[in-house]
Parts: sequence; C-alpha cells; structure tokens
Amino acid sequence: MAHGDDTHETGHDDLHPHAPMVEEITDFEVLEIAVRELAIEKGLFTAEDHRHFTEFAEQIGPTPAARLVARAWLDPEFKRLALEDAIAASRAVGVDWLQPTGFGTPSDFTALHVLEDTPNLHHVVVCTLCSCYPRPILGNSPEWYRTPNYRRRIVRWPRQVLGEFGLHLPEDVEVRVEDSNQKHRFLVLPVRPAGTEGWSEDQLAEIVTRDCLIGVARPRPGVTWNAVRAVRPAIRAAANY
Amino acid sequence: MSDRSDVMSDLELVGQLRPAFHEVQDAPTPDQIDHARFRAYMKTSHDVGGVPSAPAEFLLKEEEQWELNTYVTCEVLGWRGVWVSEERRRMQNVDVGKTVYLGFPYYGRWLLAAARVLVEKHHVTLGELIERVDEVRRRYSEGIGAELPDAAPRAAGDPAAVARNDHHVVAVGKGDPQCYAGMAGKPRFGAGDEVRVRGLPTVFYTRTQEYVRGARGTVVKVSYESIAPEDEAFDRDDQKPEWFYIVRFRMADLWEPYAGCSGDSLQTEIPERWLEPADSQATRED
Repeated sequence: MAHGDDTHETGHDDLHPHAPMVEEITDFEVLEIAVRELAIEKGLFTAEDHRHFTEFAEQIGPTPAARLVARAWLDPEFKRLALEDAIAASRAVGVDWLQPTGFGTPSDFTALHVLEDTPNLHHVVVCTLCSCYPRPILGNSPEWYRTPNYRRRIVRWPRQVLGEFGLHLPEDVEVRVEDSNQKHRFLVLPVRPAGTEGWSEDQLAEIVTRDCLIGVARPRPGVTWNAVRAVRPAIRAAANY
Repeated sequence: MSDRSDVMSDLELVGQLRPAFHEVQDAPTPDQIDHARFRAYMKTSHDVGGVPSAPAEFLLKEEEQWELNTYVTCEVLGWRGVWVSEERRRMQNVDVGKTVYLGFPYYGRWLLAAARVLVEKHHVTLGELIERVDEVRRRYSEGIGAELPDAAPRAAGDPAAVARNDHHVVAVGKGDPQCYAGMAGKPRFGAGDEVRVRGLPTVFYTRTQEYVRGARGTVVKVSYESIAPEDEAFDRDDQKPEWFYIVRFRMADLWEPYAGCSGDSLQTEIPERWLEPADSQATRED
C-alpha cells in the first residue's frame, strides 16, 4: 500500500499496513468509550463491575482444561466424572462455572460436555453460528476459530480442513464434528499418546495444547505448544491479555 | 422446504450472495424474487455452515484494548440483567445484515450490539448516543497523548431506576440452563430415537442450522431444558422451556457427495420444536 507521507515515524507501518497512524483514535475506540460511559452513567452497571469482570477475563486460559485431560488419563475414576459431570470435574481443576456472576459467564452458560476420543474416533469442535467456546476452562478462542472460513468448511470438509492444520487422519478413524450451537460447551478428551508411560500429571498436561482440546491437533510427546501461526498485531493491544 | 436438494442448492446460492453491486438494478420488482432467492435473502447471516469457501490461512491476532472492553461490557450487561446472550447474538450476528456481518471485525459487531441494546431498551435515546460519540471524538481530536484512551463517566447512575430481566436473579446459584430444570415436562424423544429436522422457514432468527434441515439423525443425548433461541432472542422469558437434544448425523446424510469417509459423523444440539420422528410423513408445511 502506498503512503502519501514518507516522513512520519517508521516502525509501525510495516506491522500495520492498513492501520491509521498510532496516535489517532479509531472509530471502534470512540464508540466503545461512548457506550461504556453511558451505561455507567445510566446505572446499568458500575465501573467496578466492569473492572471485576475484566480481571476474571484476564486470568482464564487453557491450563485447567489441560489438567482435566491429564488427570482423566491417569485416574479412571476422575475420567468417569469428567464424562458424566464435566462441571463437577472442572471444579476439581479449579474452575467454578458459576463464577464470576453466580450464574456463570453470560455467554458461556454452565453446561460442559467432554468428548472422548478413541483410537478409531476423533472429535473436532466448531460453532458454525458464532464462536461458542468453553471460555471459563479454555480461555479466549483463537482468531481462526471465529472466522467464517473455519466455520463454513469444517462441518462439510473436515478432513481437508484438519489437513490444513497438519492433522491427517487415516480412513479407519471416524471424524466426528461437534457443532456447538446452543448452551452446551465442548472439550475434546484426546487419546493418551504412546511414549508417555510413567509421566506425571504435570508432564502430561504440558502436551495437551489448546489446539488438542479443540480437536485440530493430537497430543504428542515433546510438543508442548500450538502450531506456530502468524499473529496479526493490534493497534493498541489489551494489556495483561 | 425439507427437501435435501433444496438445502444443497441453497448453500450454493448463498455462497454466491454478496450484499450489492452485482445486480444491474437494486431493489428488484417482486416478480424477480423466486422461492430460492427469497430463501437466500431471508437466511440468517450467522448460519454459514457448509457454504463453499476457498482455503485460507488460519491466523492469530492480538486483542485490541477496545475489543476486551467490548467483550466485558457485553458480559456485564448480561450479569446485570440488561439482556441475555441470545438477544446479543441476534443483534450482533443477524440484525446487522450480511454487509456488516462479513465486513466488520468480530468484536466490532459485539460493539454494535451493545450500542443497540442501550437504545432499543430505552436506556438512552439515539440522540444521546450520537452526541456522546461526537463528544468522545472531539475529546481526542488532537490525538492520543501518553494515556491510553479510556471511558470517563461523568457520574454513576442510579441502579434502582433501571428495568432489568428476571433471569439475572433467578439463575444465581443454579446456572443456565439449570435454572429451567423441571419446567418442560416429559421429553418427547429419548437417546437412540431416529429423528428428522423439520424444514421450517427462516424468519428473523434461529439457531437450527440450515445444513441439518430435513436430514435424518439419531438422538444421542437428552441435553437439558431451556427456552428456545427464537424466544430468548426476543426477551420472551415468559415462554415455556422445552427439551434440547444432541443429535448425531452421518456426514453422508448431510452432504451430497461427502468427500470424507463413510463412517464420519456430525453432532449438534436441537430444541424439540425442530424435531419430528424420522418415519413420520412429510413435514407439516409441505
């Protein structure tokens, strides 16, 4: 993209070729501030409510879900609990689905279902209608999960899309797509991989990445991170997020 | 409308539908809108499953500060009983129309919904919102200084003066959908039952995806009781809750042809009103 002015500060435009100059407020920021000010001034909620929920949102992430899977691999009793009452199993890994409001996070509801993979069955989760995702136990969804592209294609061409994630499944493995479209939220319980015999819960939890819990990857010994993807930088990124 | 070939052809047509520019004349005369085009225009913009799309790189992004603030504002509006999530989803995923749905960033649509609910539920007038947007814009007309832009409310309003829903009180200590337990009566279907998804028309809102309509599947779980999305989306918590079911479909019954393996399957959750026994005669509206 050509720039009319070559004299302004360098350093940002390589990262933000289409973004306005950094010191200019964006239309979204203006509208967000206006809405929040009016909501507080009208008594709909307080600034303290907003701060409290922000702190909740800043501390969620995939760690408890990884621990739930690792514990289910080690403890058959806990695995049965996870499959029968995933909300109770969540409490055992430190997640109370009723928080922070007393009736849960409004968008995520309080119904969780764990999908158990077997050597012949592989689950993958999508929400074709929006981006339903088990935030309280898995954190915020990755950008690609929210895109129309993933949502359009995974329900119709799952093997091709999983292939684009680097996951090529043999024909004797049934692919089961879970379209998370109502109040249930879903988490994949992958098959414990070979080569992890004798591992501790901590060691096992490290290889249960977010992508494994959505079902676009399978856990492997030595792989403790999601596949590397390009990250689109923000103009003014959220702190602590 | 439950004919599977209709579903297939509609997905193809919607994949070609773009908001404007491709017709010689906008606002066609009624005789130019056949059943297929009516259905395509009425389709809810969030219902994208199965619409053809070329592969694209799956990216990550940093979250903007305003995106986090917007997400939290929407959740806090639910926490404090201004709306339930289904009202938000209707406003941000469907009411915005296809142009904004496909053209705006994800949280841009959340933000529009938060602005809209303030106006639609009479918490502010549109004039107040417009004036405030203009005022904030002028506040930063010289640019952003060392401080990040942030809200500066003039005062805290009286929470007692605000009309709120019952849900944010009733659901406390129970959760949602648990707060509707025991209210739907006996479930019509049980695990193992063969069902067919009704081919109901789309009017304004639903969460029953087009790609399952008319398809035969098997109930695998009697899920929970809840108010149907068509009611929740319009703040109708006076309506009777109903049973929801997780239904499993063979991929080969959803897609013609299906490019994967014959054993592949798909599951999704469907409220009772959208289901009928698989072996019943033609659907009601046919």
